[in-house]
Amino acid sequence: MTDDELRARLRRADPARDLPPAAPDRVSRLLEETMTATATPAPARSRRRPVLVLAAAALVLVAAGIGWLALRPEPQPPLVQALPRIVAQLTAPAVQAKCVEPTADTLASRADFAFAGTVTALANGTVTLDVTRVYRGSTVHEVRIAQAGESSEQMMGSGRFENGKKYLVASAGGNMLICGYSGEADAPGLQDLYDRAFA
Amino acid sequence: MRVDPVSVEGRRARFEALAPAVIEAVRRYLARRTDAATAEDVLSETLLVCWRRLGDMPEDHLPWAYGVARHCLANAERSRRRQARLFARIAAIDPPRRVTDGPEPPDGDLAAAMARLRHADAELLRLWAWEDLTPPRIAVVLGISANAASIRLHRAKEKLREELRKAGTPAGHEGETEGSRP
Repeated sequence: MTDDELRARLRRADPARDLPPAAPDRVSRLLEETMTATATPAPARSRRRPVLVLAAAALVLVAAGIGWLALRPEPQPPLVQALPRIVAQLTAPAVQAKCVEPTADTLASRADFAFAGTVTALANGTVTLDVTRVYRGSTVHEVRIAQAGESSEQMMGSGRFENGKKYLVASAGGNMLICGYSGEADAPGLQDLYDRAFA
Repeated sequence: MRVDPVSVEGRRARFEALAPAVIEAVRRYLARRTDAATAEDVLSETLLVCWRRLGDMPEDHLPWAYGVARHCLANAERSRRRQARLFARIAAIDPPRRVTDGPEPPDGDLAAAMARLRHADAELLRLWAWEDLTPPRIAVVLGISANAASIRLHRAKEKLREELRKAGTPAGHEGETEGSRP
């Protein structure tokens, strides 16, 4: 029996030989379910997400819970339809801390959320940033940071958020990381730190 | 890990382009190896992994997707085993038979010969004949080298031929008597 004959005989016994193709609507439903099952292509980091979720939830998420929808472990954000504006909330600490030299390794291991964004509003102690890039964590479009004090002195650059400026911000458990881990995007070494930490 | 918001639409477009073929192929792969309900679950799971790991997906994505489905199916079988030990024990002892649930294959000799092969050998033959894969692509599914896939497939074919020869011989006339038949 040649290979071809053997293969032909096996094929005649193929249980899926008479399986009709999947109905197109079933295929599109499967596609939809798959792509909306998670807003972020980050399975390696998914274990960290619940931490962020809990912390963020505790901080009362804004935008009618849309942000929460995006951050919960098994979110169903309606990404398929018009992209909603996903908002995350962070808190900036007011404490004065002694800082050691920031390292990419520390940033990579501590941050569960990191992004680049431009400040669009400063009001009532809350800084609103338009996210231009997410380095780590769920995809969000806007981040609101509640500043516990007047300014965050440990932030790199001018030490405070200013309207229209671009920042690199990292957080862990909903709290912004300071001490050289967040700051103005053009602060010396910060962009490089992010590139190395989240490469 | 980098997540670029602007690439979200690009990812969607790529996935939408390749997913229908993956769905069709993996559906068949699963229909050949498990019951309908498990196939349904494992197909969803497989797609989710493909979507999340889209960046890791090679150009020739089908063997890779089969490999994902294979792992997901193994996981499904494992958790089922935990849930219902007795049922799973039967499934573990004789997984190939569950494949042929549904329409009974008319080729009883072949089914019997396949059932007598080692599971790994039978699986190689299924990937070759049913999924229509070449040894290098089989290697991707099974996570082995192309060389090993080639050698093992060759041996599996020989073993199947041998089993079929035995099956095709009336009882008591196996072995050397077979060669003397007209």
